[in-house]
Amino acid sequence: MDYFISLVVIGFSIGMVYALVALGVSLIYSGLDIVHFAHGEIYMLGAFIGLTIFDRLGFSYLASLLVAALVVGCIGALIERLFYRPLTRRGGGISVSGMGIIIAGFGMSIVLQNVAFLIWGPKALPFRVSFGAPLEFGELTLPMSYVWIVCTALALMLLINFVLKRTMIGLAIRAVAHNKDIAYLSGINVPLMMSLIFAAACALGAIAGVLIGPINYVVVLMGSAILMKAFAAAVVGGFGSLPGAIVGGVTVGIIESLGAGYISGTFKDVYAFVVLIIVLMVRPSGLFGVQARMKA
Amino acid sequence: MLDIQDLIGGYGNVRILNGATLSVKRGQIAALLGGNGTGKSTLLKASSGLIKSWSGSITFDGERIDGLRPDIIVRKGLVQVTQGKDAFPGMTVEENLRLGAFTIRNAPLIADALERVYGYFPVLKDKRRQPAGTLSGGQLQMVCIGRGLMSSPKMIMLDEPSAALAPQVVLDIFRTIYRITRDGMTVLLVEQNVRMALLLAEYGYVIKDGIIHIQGKAQDLIYDDNVRLSYLGGTMANREATLNPPQAPSDR
Repeated sequence: MDYFISLVVIGFSIGMVYALVALGVSLIYSGLDIVHFAHGEIYMLGAFIGLTIFDRLGFSYLASLLVAALVVGCIGALIERLFYRPLTRRGGGISVSGMGIIIAGFGMSIVLQNVAFLIWGPKALPFRVSFGAPLEFGELTLPMSYVWIVCTALALMLLINFVLKRTMIGLAIRAVAHNKDIAYLSGINVPLMMSLIFAAACALGAIAGVLIGPINYVVVLMGSAILMKAFAAAVVGGFGSLPGAIVGGVTVGIIESLGAGYISGTFKDVYAFVVLIIVLMVRPSGLFGVQARMKA
Repeated sequence: MLDIQDLIGGYGNVRILNGATLSVKRGQIAALLGGNGTGKSTLLKASSGLIKSWSGSITFDGERIDGLRPDIIVRKGLVQVTQGKDAFPGMTVEENLRLGAFTIRNAPLIADALERVYGYFPVLKDKRRQPAGTLSGGQLQMVCIGRGLMSSPKMIMLDEPSAALAPQVVLDIFRTIYRITRDGMTVLLVEQNVRMALLLAEYGYVIKDGIIHIQGKAQDLIYDDNVRLSYLGGTMANREATLNPPQAPSDR
């Protein structure tokens, strides 16, 4: 029983990281109508930048987390303005979902991988943080790095919920997600809001990267695996739904952990996609996907 | 207040507006009438900045506004009120209204505007915590008009406020629009419901093929056969006839 609980707890923590990346993917999808295939590389960049700040500049872990989020948020806004915006414009609207933008996303992911390769090299770098003694609950011990993940992720989710529900900016973001023309006519600076949404999504991805750093190594290719899991999480929850992204992320994390613990660790990455396929067969719109999706 | 001169524009390569000219005076209700596909929505979108016109000019309150971003035009005091179906269904009534005041940072001003809107539409006050998705069509239209009023604009442009509503509801809405104008608002009313619009408006324009086809005082247009004709299939030829009428009847 203890074994089961510890698997669930660890799966839940890792699931929170998936959820953060999936939240970013969903935010971008609902706000900009872009399925962002370079989001895994944003996460990878976050991990590298966080590590560099932590190792080279001697910042505390929390400060590295925040600075990495800020830096990657700015990089994200820049990428969106310089590369994605002209493409969506050419599509005719303020934003448009299409093949061009998907291929551009793949291209961007390769570019970012190679940029990271040039800066940080091919080796997997360790992210050594001394968090102190693990927490103990009776028989159960939980390393502090997992506690950090869960607390940071929960705090971020509460923050997002607060911003979206209680502030004017959040209201504007929901309006932009629902209908850009109407948002424009309400006096909202839609292009600015879109940049803001993209930057926030990238900041979330970067934080996820810094959080996973101390558990795994930081390496150039870490982005592709997480992207697929984040997509699985987003689809399981219902693509574009924010609560869905969280529930989907946690579901994928726990099932992966249970599968690795009880069946075989070698196929750890397979379980998430088995869940994905089953959900798509049984409930194609995802757990939280409603038929007429109300994004606002 | 609003002056549109020889406006040409469209979507992509498709030309919709062919040199439309109209003007709305301060404190006036003007009606822009036309069937589907005549260019009235395009004209509206060009004025509110959602699409860029190709040539011609749009002047609002003495300033050129063509080519500006929609949110800037809202800040200048010209607001396009959308159709009721364009309320945000997942947001509460009050959230919808507050969104209209996005350009305003001053909390007391927003509170005043909210009270004013609830004064025009008491029903919305009772339902202010409900999601807009649960309202009736008429109430949704009220939400959209209210949202347009929240930034305390100088002029509003209403996009078919009567669309898909029961006649009794339309009457209610139009009565309120009249009250809003009496309180000093300038209104451009874009409508397919010709009779209702002309009863409310002081001046009317009929648009067809992207050009103003007929214009005149509303009470004259109501009895004008050409207005009816242009809906049933008038041509450019009878536009010439209307612009240079052989002899205006004087027995009205």
